[in-house]
This record gives sequence, structure tokens and C-alpha cells, in this order.
Amino acid sequence: MSRTSRTGWAFAAPGLSLLVIVMGFPLAYAALMAMSSMTLRSFRLSPLVGLENFTRVLGDPLFWQATWLTVRYAVITVTGEFVIGLALAMMLQKVLRWKAVYFAILTIPMAMSPIAVALIWRMLLQPNLGVINQMLRGLGFDGVDWFGDPALAVATMAAVDIWQQTSFVVLLLAAGLASLPREPYEAAEVDGAGAVQQFFYITMPMLRPVAAIAVVIQLINEFRTYDLPYVLTRGGPGNATEVLSYFAYRRAFLGLSLNEGAAASWVLLMIVLALTVAFFWLLERRDGRSSG
Amino acid sequence: MTRNLTRILGATALVAGTLPLAGPAAAEVTLRALMEDVPETSIIESLLPQFTEKTGIKVEFEKIGYGDMHDKLVLQLTAPESFYNLLSVDFLWAGEFPDAGWLEDLGPMARASQMNLDGFIPAMWDLLGRDGDTIPIVPMYNYSMGLIYRTDLLADRPLPDTLEGFVDLAVEMKPVAGSAGLAMQGQRGDPNSMEFSNFLFAAGGDYLDPENKVVLDSEAGRKALALYVRAMNEAAQQGALNANLDDTRRIMCAGEAFSMISYWWMLPALDNPAECPAVAGKLALAVVPGGHGESGGWGWGIPRNISAEEKAAAWAFIEWVQSPEIVKARALQGHAPVQTAAFQDAEVLAKFPYYADAGQVVAAGKSFPIFTYSAQYEDVLGTQLSMAASGQARIEDALSAAAKGLADQMAH
Repeated sequence: MSRTSRTGWAFAAPGLSLLVIVMGFPLAYAALMAMSSMTLRSFRLSPLVGLENFTRVLGDPLFWQATWLTVRYAVITVTGEFVIGLALAMMLQKVLRWKAVYFAILTIPMAMSPIAVALIWRMLLQPNLGVINQMLRGLGFDGVDWFGDPALAVATMAAVDIWQQTSFVVLLLAAGLASLPREPYEAAEVDGAGAVQQFFYITMPMLRPVAAIAVVIQLINEFRTYDLPYVLTRGGPGNATEVLSYFAYRRAFLGLSLNEGAAASWVLLMIVLALTVAFFWLLERRDGRSSG
Repeated sequence: MTRNLTRILGATALVAGTLPLAGPAAAEVTLRALMEDVPETSIIESLLPQFTEKTGIKVEFEKIGYGDMHDKLVLQLTAPESFYNLLSVDFLWAGEFPDAGWLEDLGPMARASQMNLDGFIPAMWDLLGRDGDTIPIVPMYNYSMGLIYRTDLLADRPLPDTLEGFVDLAVEMKPVAGSAGLAMQGQRGDPNSMEFSNFLFAAGGDYLDPENKVVLDSEAGRKALALYVRAMNEAAQQGALNANLDDTRRIMCAGEAFSMISYWWMLPALDNPAECPAVAGKLALAVVPGGHGESGGWGWGIPRNISAEEKAAAWAFIEWVQSPEIVKARALQGHAPVQTAAFQDAEVLAKFPYYADAGQVVAAGKSFPIFTYSAQYEDVLGTQLSMAASGQARIEDALSAAAKGLADQMAH
């Protein structure tokens, strides 16, 4: 090992040690739990049972239903957050006065606890006495069964999620847009490129690294979504809103099987990791092709 | 106060004999209990200053919705030391908590303080797992479920005496009441499991036979589920599939529903002109048509993983709150008694004449199966009910899956 390399490791050591303690230990312990016979009634790791808990979880049809729902939910919410977030960020870029005020207002949902957000929306969307249905009825429409209709429950939950999470995407993308150089736009204007062409051929390619970070962070967030189904629907009606994290919670705390809950959580972690790696791999491959 | 302090110290010594833990004197202990946010909790809370004045022990209630209680308690009961040193325990956990070894046996404390155990309704002891001298939980209040309905909308018509007749009536009453002929709590889990149990018992079905064999998937079970699904789709309020107890209470209180199958102690709160002016004075209580409803109850427990002083203070509270004079004071505010005397007290009956009906509701009640995984089973059953009611599963398939789930959980 060269001297430079040793120095590098020496500087990184404190941070890495902290990471191992803060992140590595809980992950390792969860992995151990997933391979143990630990339940809330028998709080012991022994005897270790290997992959038995993983087999049981993966053999449950509800697990695959929850996984597929989680994937769909993440795609819907992240797409919604990105499209709306980008539109808002671009509008804010054009704003000259009161920009700070707009940003402050936009960050309010992000600053709120997801549980509080869920409770507020649960009240607003209450079918009989909620404000939104009262307004719809006042306008001559029928009230909508927002969370009681299996076909609508996921979409409503996703809408609440998008309402809260979009402000984070706005902040990231607005920062990215503000850092873009002006010269390519000036050159494009001289060449006669319109706003749409500038957006697709200048803004989006240059914004791609920031956009990728925003998408990955939100993808991870959405895969972990737990608070909203817990407060809004408890996974129902039927299994219509039972996402993977809620499935893991049910196994651990209602089924008292901490080991199976840990196994489900590890599978969730693996899926998120795989998606993240795949996303960055695709991005790098595309960048490589563009530059080549 | 000195005499009480002496009794508390005596109880401390009794508990300390088995668990020699150090800590502050019982009178310096602050009792902390996680309580469901229901009228009964508010009633007890209003009397707490009397207990503190009498014993010097402070009591803090943390009030939350039922759905969040089990997990919060389990986390504390599996911790090295529980933050909650006084427990309110639902009968659905009366299998799980003692089996897991999380609760102190209250039998020795009850005998030492000469508590009148015979004054409690025997069914409440059965519900909360008393086994001879072993008492994991002391009854707090019952929550038998009955039919609360609007007398003004029913006018002179009699209530049907069968479940089918009642569902027909509820469907008919929906447009008359505004939002619901029957305000239903269809959210999956505890809300819809408890509600469906009334349909099951009223239709003549049951979960288990006397030998503990699963008999849910029966002709009566299918009839009950078919009527439940019909009520959900034709008589209930919009959004009933995601509604919980609070939602049904609000709709009933707002005068938007003809009836609700709910805990009978909802009646005093709904019949209060200050809280529910739209329906106060227009309500009555009856046994669920068909003759049986779901019966449950809450009790007091003491966690094992707290100090001896805290245990002594917790027992002093339990002894006080279930004493005849406090039970009567609670009953005069709408308490759902677990001791026979309160149902027969002339002063209580003069204030709440429907306590006589409540007595019938309690007597006609049947219980959800109580075993280690009752809470888990509520989720299994609730999912199937929700799927049947929302058209995601056929009635036969949902009932069969629910019965299989019960057999699996009991064999766990």
C-alpha cells in the first residue's frame, strides 16, 4: 500500500468506523434476526434456522402481491413527483420577486411529519363529513370513496404521497437548474432553437446527474413507504394498499415473528439496492455512449 | 393518607419479597398508562385527582387510538424496563400477554389486599384469563356490542328480531337517515373483525365449538358474511370499507345514520345534548337482532419488567379504581361496569335507565376466540372480510380462508 493510499485510509477511517457502527451493526443484526428463531414471545436468536424465514416469506403469495404493488406504487409516485417537481422548479427559475416566499411555502409539506400529513388528508378525504367531498357535493358532483374503493385507494394514497414529497424534488431540481451554465442557451438561441428544443437538448442532458439523484432518493423513499398505509388504510381494503414495508410490519408486530419481519425487510433492502445499482448502471452506460 | 401510605408500603414489601429491586417509595412513583381514547378513559381521568389526593401517587394517561396500542405496549413489554408501569389490556391480548410472561400475577396482591373478587361478573374473569388463583388481568370495563338506533326514525315500528330483517330495515333506512342505515366500521383488522363477529353470532354461527374446533366455515357463517357484505354495500355509509370506530361515532353523532352496531357505552356519549345535539334523546339500545352480539372487555395489568415500588403503586391504583365507591362514581358518568352491583344500583339506574338494556346486551354477548395470536387473527379475518365486502373475493372463499387462518393460528 502506498503512502498516499495509507494517508487516505487514515483520513477515511473515522468516518468509515462511524458508518460501520451506525449502519453496519443494525444491518448485520437484522440479518442475524432473519436467520434466527427470534419472536416477540421468545426474544432469543438461537437456534439459528438458516434461510428458513426467507423461504417462508418468499413462499407467501401475499409477499409477491405486496412486492408488485410496491413497485407500481414507487413508479407512480416517483414519476408524479419528478414531473410536477420539474415543472415547478422551472417555473420558480423564471420567478424574480418573492422567490424565497415561494420556496418557503413549497417546503411546508416536506417539513411535516408523514403521520401528520396522513391524518390531515384522512380528515380532508373522509367520504361523509370531509371537506373535499362536501365541496364536490356543493358543486353538484357525487362524493368519492377515496380510500374505501380498492380501485381508487392506491391512487389516492399515491396522490397524498406526491403532495408531500414533491417539494423535496423541487428543491433538488431548482438547485440543479440554478447551477446550469448560461452559454449553451445563448448559443442555442443564436442558432434559432425554441424553448422545447432547449429543454430536451440542453436542460435535460445537463440536469441528468441531479435528476438521477432525485429519482434514486425518492425511489428508495417510496419503497420504504409505511406511514401512509398505516394511517390511511391499514393495507386495505382487502390487500389493495398493502405495500412491502407494511407486510414486514405485520409479520413482525402482529404476527409476533420478528425473524420473518427481518427477512422481509432484508428482501426489501435487496430490491432497493438492486434497483439503485441498475439505475446508476443504466445512467453511466448512457453517459458513456453519449460521450463516445 | 398515612394509612394508605402504610398499605402501599405493605404491598411494596409483598412485591419486593419476590423482586428485590431498589427504587423510590411507591407514593413517589408516577404511574404511566397507555389508554384507548374512549369515554371510559375520560371518566377515569376525571377521578384521578381523588386518587392522587388519597395516596400521593400521580397518574398520567397517554390516550391514543386502539389501532396503535398493541405495538406500543409490546415494544415496552419486551424492553428491559417498561415505560408504562400500569397496563390497560384488551381481552384480545389476554392470551398473548400472559403466555409471553409479560404480566405480573395479580393473585397474591388481590388476596393480600382482600379485594372482593366475587363482586365481578364471572364472564369478565373468563374473558380476561383468570385461572383459579392466578389473575393476570383485573377487569376494568366491558365492551359488549349492541345495536344503537334512532327511535325517531323508527317511529312506532318494532325492531326486527332476525339479522336478515334488520339488514332489510337498515337498507330501507339509509336514504331516510341521510348517509347510512347502518354506520359500519369496515377497516380491516380490529374494526371489521369486531363488527362481523356480531353478524356471525346473531346469525347463529361461531368461531369455535366447545372443544375448540374451528366451526367458522358453516352455513350460519356464510349467511352472516352474505348479510355483512349486503349491509356494507347497501346500508352503510360511503367509505365504510375504510371506516373505524371514530368514523362511525362521528356519523351517528352528526345525525347522518339510523343505527350502528357498536359498544353499548357509546350510548351515554351519543345521548349527550352538548356533544351530539342532533341525536341526543332520540337513541335506544338493543341486543343485536338475532339474539347475540360480540362481547369484550378491558382489564388492568402490571408489567413484570418494572420495579417493585412501581408494581405496588400500580396495584394501589387498581384496587382504588375498582373499589365500589369509585365504580359507582364512574357508573354515574357512563362507565360500562364489570361488577354486578353497579348494574343494580338505584341511583345509577335512575340516571341511565338503559343500563337494564345494557345488562341484557352483556348477558347475550359471545367472545371472539382468545389465544396467543388473537391480534394476528383479527388481521387475517379482517383481510378476508374486507376482500369479500369489496368484491375482491367470493363469500365462500373468504370464509374458507378465514376459517383456515384461524386453524393455522391456533396450531402455531
